[in-house]
Amino acid sequence: MTLTTKAPSAGPVRRGGGVRGVRPAAAPDRTPRPGSLYILPAALFFAVFAVGPVIGVGVLSFMEWNGLGDPRFAGTANWERFLGSGAIWDATGRTLLLTGACWVVQTPISLAIGVWSAGRQRNRAVLSAVYFLPLLLSSAAIALGWKAILDPNFGAAKALGPLIGYSDGDLLGDTQGALLCIVMVVTWQFVPFHALLYQAAARNIPASIYDAALIDGAGRATAFRYITLPQLRNTIITSSTLMIVGSLTYFETILLLTDGGPGGATHVLPFLMYTEGFRSYEMGFAATIATALVVLGTSLSLLIVRFSGFAKMRSTLEGI
Amino acid sequence: MTRRPNWVAGGLSCVWLAVVLLPLWLMVSWSVQLRQDYLDQGPFDFPRAFTAKNLGDVLSSGFGDYLVNTAIVTVFSVVLTLALALPAAYAIVRSRAWLATASFRVFLLGLAIPAQATIIPVYWLITRLELYDTLTAIVLPTVAFGLPLAVLVLAGSLRDVSRDLYEAMTLDGAGPFLVFVKLVLPLCRASVTTVGIYTGLNAWNGFLFPLILTQSDELRVMTLGLWNFQSEFGVNTPALMTGVLLSALPVLVLYILARRWLVAGLAGVGGK
Amino acid sequence: MTTHFSRRHFLGLAGGTTGALMLGATGCGGSSGPGGSGSLTVWSLQDPVQNPIQKAALKRFSDKAGAQTKLETFLNTAYTQKLRVAMGSPNTPDVLFNWGGGSIRQYVDNGLLQDLTPELEKNPEFKAKFLPSVLEAGRIDGKYYGIPLRGMQPVILFYNKKLFEKHDAQPPTTWAETLKLVDTFKKAGVTPFAVAGAESWTQLMWLEYLCDRIGGPDVFGAIAEGDKSGWADPAMVRAIDAIADLAGRGGFGTNFSSVQYQTGASPLLAKGKAAMHLMGSWEYTNQLDQEPEFTKDGLGWTTFPAFEGGAGDPKAIVGNPTNYFSVSKRSENAGKALGFLKQEMGSDTYVDALIKGGDVPAVADIEARLKDSPNPEFAGFVYDMVRDAPSFQLSWDQAIENKYAQPMLTNLQKVFLGKLDGKGYAAAMKAA
Repeated sequence: MTLTTKAPSAGPVRRGGGVRGVRPAAAPDRTPRPGSLYILPAALFFAVFAVGPVIGVGVLSFMEWNGLGDPRFAGTANWERFLGSGAIWDATGRTLLLTGACWVVQTPISLAIGVWSAGRQRNRAVLSAVYFLPLLLSSAAIALGWKAILDPNFGAAKALGPLIGYSDGDLLGDTQGALLCIVMVVTWQFVPFHALLYQAAARNIPASIYDAALIDGAGRATAFRYITLPQLRNTIITSSTLMIVGSLTYFETILLLTDGGPGGATHVLPFLMYTEGFRSYEMGFAATIATALVVLGTSLSLLIVRFSGFAKMRSTLEGI
Repeated sequence: MTRRPNWVAGGLSCVWLAVVLLPLWLMVSWSVQLRQDYLDQGPFDFPRAFTAKNLGDVLSSGFGDYLVNTAIVTVFSVVLTLALALPAAYAIVRSRAWLATASFRVFLLGLAIPAQATIIPVYWLITRLELYDTLTAIVLPTVAFGLPLAVLVLAGSLRDVSRDLYEAMTLDGAGPFLVFVKLVLPLCRASVTTVGIYTGLNAWNGFLFPLILTQSDELRVMTLGLWNFQSEFGVNTPALMTGVLLSALPVLVLYILARRWLVAGLAGVGGK
Repeated sequence: MTTHFSRRHFLGLAGGTTGALMLGATGCGGSSGPGGSGSLTVWSLQDPVQNPIQKAALKRFSDKAGAQTKLETFLNTAYTQKLRVAMGSPNTPDVLFNWGGGSIRQYVDNGLLQDLTPELEKNPEFKAKFLPSVLEAGRIDGKYYGIPLRGMQPVILFYNKKLFEKHDAQPPTTWAETLKLVDTFKKAGVTPFAVAGAESWTQLMWLEYLCDRIGGPDVFGAIAEGDKSGWADPAMVRAIDAIADLAGRGGFGTNFSSVQYQTGASPLLAKGKAAMHLMGSWEYTNQLDQEPEFTKDGLGWTTFPAFEGGAGDPKAIVGNPTNYFSVSKRSENAGKALGFLKQEMGSDTYVDALIKGGDVPAVADIEARLKDSPNPEFAGFVYDMVRDAPSFQLSWDQAIENKYAQPMLTNLQKVFLGKLDGKGYAAAMKAA
């Protein structure tokens, strides 16, 4: 997990607190530089409330804790249970499936909408103002709204279900249907944000490149394939990373929309972590699931980064 | 781009328009009906009669207080994030201290860590700090897990500041603090917007941290309030829809008044 | 278990924590938190009807005993977790609301609750005030830890009278009749039973009753005591198979897994789209609130049908016998707490207030007074049902150890979906 990055400023790394108070001189390399003091608060804060808990998750995964007493050392019991549990493997598979499905569905849609709405035409501007409306609602609001819409008796599912093969509107109550609903709701919720990223990036592609291509007789599809896509490469990486790490926030959607049901059909790792920790009070085991999540999230992100080229990674991540 | 109208894209864009608007329309249409009408009519029927009863019900059940709590959490999260991230970004770009370099690497890694996975140790930590069931308990982890993105966005924009500007200020006899206040802060304005909006929306929409770290009714934030409405107004879908829509109202106002600013701010997350 | 030292050590540490967070939570400045100041602190669920009654009771007690009292209320969803944090500290509430059974078992195991048995034995006239089946349901390992504080909530079979009249049908008294009714209503295009499959606690009521009818209360009783082999008991397997059979016949309709309790199952019954609905007695208040007209002339209720050849008594019931007040062992006000419970929980004033609020208190010999209830007919039915019941089993999700509740519900959903049969359910629960 070594993510080597170049130090932001070249030159020898000086220990200590920089050069505060040194009289400025004309030579450029003598410019006063901020010392550790500037980063110390953020670093300390992050260490206590983010790095600490991440380490804590790992430590707790070797403990037993029911929330009532002190955590007690439990050896590898949690991990044995984790590796031996069919439910966990199912949930892991489902988590990856859901992450993958959401990525596959969202990326083309947001890419298309982003590029399309980057055009300066008046109608596009008006429409994209509408497209971004779901951005205004929180996950909780969206999940509850959709839950009502997906009600098979009084909501819209009765009418919409038959269109996709659920004649009685039993979408949320069906094993596959429930997963489909989550992909649908997540797409509805997050496409606007990713489209926004693509829109901004597409607007930064110099028009001269397209003009040159037009002169060469390239069609619209060709231009998209050979100009737009390569130019958006970094944004695709950024958006994908955000999507994949963000896929863990689907937890709220699942909790509110299906509560893991029907019959565990939407049990994903974050949801199991929550129920083990705060419904079954098996905090140690919940921490084991959480550790797996941290490892999964980090390695997936690193995988994208590596997959997409090491040098690119730096500029992308730094550009975020 | 091209002058020829793009029919395929136009058609697809209308499909997506329907996808976006249909659920919103249903929510709006249900929220203005009485429960009986909602149950007796079809889901797509135009409201038989309009009512403000749902609005009254939702408002009188403390929704205003929930919004205030959320607003407090949001403001403090944004302020604290900026207060920590601005100097940090400055140090990352300009400092030669090892701490700056090391922190930058940790922040990069931090981007990939799902905040929700740490909820159990965070819960432990917050109870041990005697902050359990306070709004502070929500702000602290929200800020911590928002820091990596904030620092990187700010550092990204600071990197574009030409060295000449720093040198010019130095010639005027400014120390690092003066450079920070007079040069860095003004130049960061665009990315401060981005960080502010992104952090703000995150805090505004936060669910898991408030769910686990607070309990009392007086401290309930908007998202939890909505969740609670589900049991309180469980029988009454129109009232629940009213709550759902009302929760978005402040952001909607912001969107209408300052759409460009909001959109540009969010888009800033993707970098240039 | 853990060593004595670490437990004490932890409690000492956590004490300050919880005290402070409770100050933060309730905004009650001044006093040094519950327990310490001599003020009697009572924790309860937030409830617009119950809270004023409880406050009045506390006031009567403080007027008489000259003690300071305080009622703190929490929302249902938050209460369990909140209580859990507080119970891990020395600053526990003096008197705490609970559901009995598994909801307090871990506190009992950790020695955090007062055994009220000696007190009840010493005051037989106080003990006699409560219905025995309800008092029994609150026992853990043979000891009493809770005093009933409010109404009883047995699970009842509700039905739509108009639909039954229209199709010339009678509410079922046996399982065979139940299955026949399923065909009748299915033919008529009506869902026989509304069930909120999206909320599996509603499905659990079916298992609770069927298992009780087929094998009697001891089948689950053993499981609640920690014997997992009970899931493979023939009665349990048969009960599960009966549910799977009923679901397979379309007894619950086709899309029940998407149905919510309040937004789905209740309106389905009221709107005549479903004929019957198995639900807790609170459903009456719920319907009265939402569908007053239907409730007055269309809502019927009856007991759960008998199962042919079953070992269980058809008069036995399941549900929430009541809610209980328990006393914290670390309370410095234990004497006052007991005084409060003894003075108020069985008192005429308190019981009358409950009845007026629509509750059916778990107090003996109040038939005559139930006429003051907002719905005397229904209240009388509930009261007789509980009084005559040989056993009143606590809802399984409350009775069972926390960690098994979730798998029990998830696997039951699978039974309703037709993915598990009796044997499969037993195997899944054994692995949980």
